[in-house]
Amino acid sequence: MTRLLAPAGSKVLFLGNEAIARGALEAGVSVATAYPGTPSSEVIESLAPAASKRSLYVEWSVNEKVALEVAAAASFAGLRSMAVMKQNGVNVASDFLLHLTASGTRGGLVLVSCEDPGALSSVNEGESRYFAGMLEMPLLEPADFQEAKDMTKWAFELSEAIGNVVMLRSVTRMSHASGNVVCGTLPAKARKAAFEYGGPIMDSQTGPMISTPVVAKHLLRRQKLKAVCALFEKSPFNRYTGPARPDLLLITASACWLYAAEAVHMLGLQKKVGILKLGTTWPLPPRLVSQYLRKARRILIVEEVMAFLEENVKVLAAGNPKLSEDKTFFGKYDGTLPFAGELNPDIVADALVKIFNIRRCGLSSSYQEEARKTAAMLPPREQTFCAGCPHRASFWSIHNAIALDGRGGFVCGDIGCYSMAALTPANGFGTMPTLHSMGSGTGLASGFARLAPFGFKKPVLTVCGDSTFYHAVIPALINARHNRADITFIVLDNQGTAMTGFQPHPGNEVNALRESVPAVDIAAVCRAIGAKVAVCDPFDLSATGSVLTDFLAEKDSLKVLILRQACALSPEKKGKKTFEMKVDESLCLGDACGCNRLCTRIFRCPALVWDRKKKKAAVDEVVCAGCGVCASICPRKAILKSQAASAAASGG
Amino acid sequence: MKRKKSSQSRLKKEVLEQSLCTGCGACVGLCPYQVVYRDRTVQLFDCDLSDGKCRAFCPRTPADGRLLRDGLFDAADATDEIGPVKEFWFTRAKDAGLRARAQHGGTVTALLRLAMSEGWIDAAIVSGRLDGREPEGRLIDRGEEPADYAGSRFWAAPTVAAFHRMPENGAGRVGVVATPCQALALAKIRTAKIDGYQKGGTLSLVIGLFCGWTLALDRFQNLLNQYHLPAQNLTGMDIPAGKNILELRTAGGAVNVPMDEVDECVREACRYCIDSTAEFADLSVGAARFGGNPVEMSGWNQVIVRSEKGKNLVSLARDQGILECREAPRRALAELMSAAAEKKKKALARIIEKSRSPEKLLYLNPDDPAVRKYLNEVLQDKAKPLLKKKGDR
Repeated sequence: MTRLLAPAGSKVLFLGNEAIARGALEAGVSVATAYPGTPSSEVIESLAPAASKRSLYVEWSVNEKVALEVAAAASFAGLRSMAVMKQNGVNVASDFLLHLTASGTRGGLVLVSCEDPGALSSVNEGESRYFAGMLEMPLLEPADFQEAKDMTKWAFELSEAIGNVVMLRSVTRMSHASGNVVCGTLPAKARKAAFEYGGPIMDSQTGPMISTPVVAKHLLRRQKLKAVCALFEKSPFNRYTGPARPDLLLITASACWLYAAEAVHMLGLQKKVGILKLGTTWPLPPRLVSQYLRKARRILIVEEVMAFLEENVKVLAAGNPKLSEDKTFFGKYDGTLPFAGELNPDIVADALVKIFNIRRCGLSSSYQEEARKTAAMLPPREQTFCAGCPHRASFWSIHNAIALDGRGGFVCGDIGCYSMAALTPANGFGTMPTLHSMGSGTGLASGFARLAPFGFKKPVLTVCGDSTFYHAVIPALINARHNRADITFIVLDNQGTAMTGFQPHPGNEVNALRESVPAVDIAAVCRAIGAKVAVCDPFDLSATGSVLTDFLAEKDSLKVLILRQACALSPEKKGKKTFEMKVDESLCLGDACGCNRLCTRIFRCPALVWDRKKKKAAVDEVVCAGCGVCASICPRKAILKSQAASAAASGG
Repeated sequence: MKRKKSSQSRLKKEVLEQSLCTGCGACVGLCPYQVVYRDRTVQLFDCDLSDGKCRAFCPRTPADGRLLRDGLFDAADATDEIGPVKEFWFTRAKDAGLRARAQHGGTVTALLRLAMSEGWIDAAIVSGRLDGREPEGRLIDRGEEPADYAGSRFWAAPTVAAFHRMPENGAGRVGVVATPCQALALAKIRTAKIDGYQKGGTLSLVIGLFCGWTLALDRFQNLLNQYHLPAQNLTGMDIPAGKNILELRTAGGAVNVPMDEVDECVREACRYCIDSTAEFADLSVGAARFGGNPVEMSGWNQVIVRSEKGKNLVSLARDQGILECREAPRRALAELMSAAAEKKKKALARIIEKSRSPEKLLYLNPDDPAVRKYLNEVLQDKAKPLLKKKGDR
């Protein structure tokens, strides 16, 4: 934590997200809000501990829309503020953002979007750069860690210069990698909040903060872009390296700059390829870009994920015949680079090899042969629930209740660790055939359950996590109740926002600043909506199964089952076992008729291992979290559980 | 490389998906992959073993009746209509109090009690009480009173599953009260030669029950709802001789349901059953129906003794004055055989319709002479519209 507050001039190894946080601190940010989302979460996580020392309010908001609204309020009150989210969070915030860029802002407001090309930690490969173009707000993209800090600091100044939101866009390889950053000064004085609104309607600094009159304010917003372009023309964040007249001009931004630089170096093309790294990617500074477009006949645009930069460069070129005649553009549209997935130095190198029609010295064939043989020996490692995860037990019970019901019931999935029930069907025992965005499970279920008049007979279930409940599910639940959708809704309450790193949410009595705060009770909200509510411990398989079976048999009502059990990695549980588990080999049936490896083949907790020599199951004590659930599923009661010493000592 | 199909998937294809499952419980209680819920057999997870006991014990997977009969009965006792017959009696328990609690003559309860007190068996498996929430088999030992479980239930209970759930060592020898399909499953269990499986040897006695059909729980539940009769209020049910009704008894009186309404509730699998007298039991017990006046007959059982053990048990009961036995009139046996033969023919006709081939008899073996005899009769009758009558059972 003290790293983030290092004195001016220190050189610190920062995570990309930490560099962004430091940049915000150097700009004197007063309010920082977010909803957890990989790869963005560390910005707030690193700011929160520093809050007490810096007159800073940090909040985990219930969703990204509210996060942006909270930050906007601070901005309207003259304070510098920041809202941080991953790419799909921008979609959630977009309705407010649409109106915010029309009403304008006061204190500098920076929207930080950390995106996930290749969907390493997402179930979508969304892109927020188009929002910058669509909503006419400046877009900045850091290409290294020093830039991440410096750009963030400057973004606040830019925002105040034009009275509008500035978007700063990062990607996983920037946010989650680390590099050395030289720190600047932290401001001594903090601002005071004040909100006046009696001024003229067109003056966003003194008048009301509204998006109307719409067309007039839209034109005003476009006008501001001229000032932005002027600043971008001179920005130190745009750099060129390479020959004065390159064979190929490579235009790039963000982490792709690093891939491009490495690819050029690998192929020894430094004398032929000039790299224009842009940090101000929307609006494109026209004179700067034109200047470099004139220098080359062939242009390659390297970016993730979609062709945003390529389109804007081409639009600029098309506007000037001198810039577009006799030029060849390479990029995504001509198939040189893929439209989906993350890029890397090899992909960029392959593109260069194609363009220059050269041979690339790869690895020797003997090395490749060895590599292939070794790859075949690697055991498959699939995504799965942790040992001790309550979700495994929950889906076991859900699967069995659906099977007993016999009408082909299914679960509409949602976003959280439990999404893995859809990603790897074996994890969810085949119950979850739909998965989309936060809160959409309940919305879909609300729809499926209205299809009875069309002959639809399957029971409809849906799940969500505790954090997701507050984020987006409540309106859909109200919809289900009001429109008489007969659904069984299961809240997988593991007492935190687990998938993103166990951040607190409104169900916890503590917030980002470690203050004691009131919790909002999920059961009470569901009851107020008019649902029938039950609460169970998912580790108690028979109680859970019994409630689910009853719920599935009950027609024409909204039924909510809250399965409450803390995540295996939660602070209260991590590293502590409730039970010591052991397999009694004399009882274990193994792969014989009567069991056929139920625990290792079907239940598949990572702590249950199959000894191929002994033909018996065994518990890996190192992996085992001591939850005790496997003892309930063994048909021979061969898995023994005894109170763990640590549990006994602390009272269990 | 051709992989052998798993027993479980064959069971699903041959039996469950064909609506042939009788709910006997033979495939349940062996492992966690199959369970019974209400009266449905549910496969919970996929098992990839290819020589599983579930398929081996199921009474509706293809099997050769001749081999089973050779293993359990004397060839000389064989009849085509009703299986092996050593003796045929009308019987009833001597104890009037016991008879009052029973369906008809209290014979099953009396014999169970005797077998336990004489140490022939250490425990009995019967179907659970009428007021139970879910049909199930119950294991009762010497400490419990078999009479508590007397009275017919007309829906399927997975009784054989209770046998599977008995611990490997400790329960001793067991007697089971079984419907015809359950008795067939138990016969397969008794004669099974499976590596590592010794439990079949603990099955000491099978008392079979005459059976025409069972009721599908969900449809029967709807019927009860229509008659405003909660299931927990039922104290008993019966089909009075000569009347075309199902009598449902409650504390507040009886409700008579016309048989054609009951017929709508019959479990699909029962329509393919050729065994109305539990041909694979040591002895089979039903209500005395034929050869006398109904009033006199009610309160008596008709009993077919099939095996040496069955014969000894009935003798003992008679000698000890626990069971009253009388010679059944000739007509009674003849009428029983005639009714049984009719059921076989009806079932076979339905089987051929389902399989679409007279040589494919689903779970039956066309080379079994007992099957072949009625198959030929059915094929001859095929010109006549056998199945066009409404309300056929």
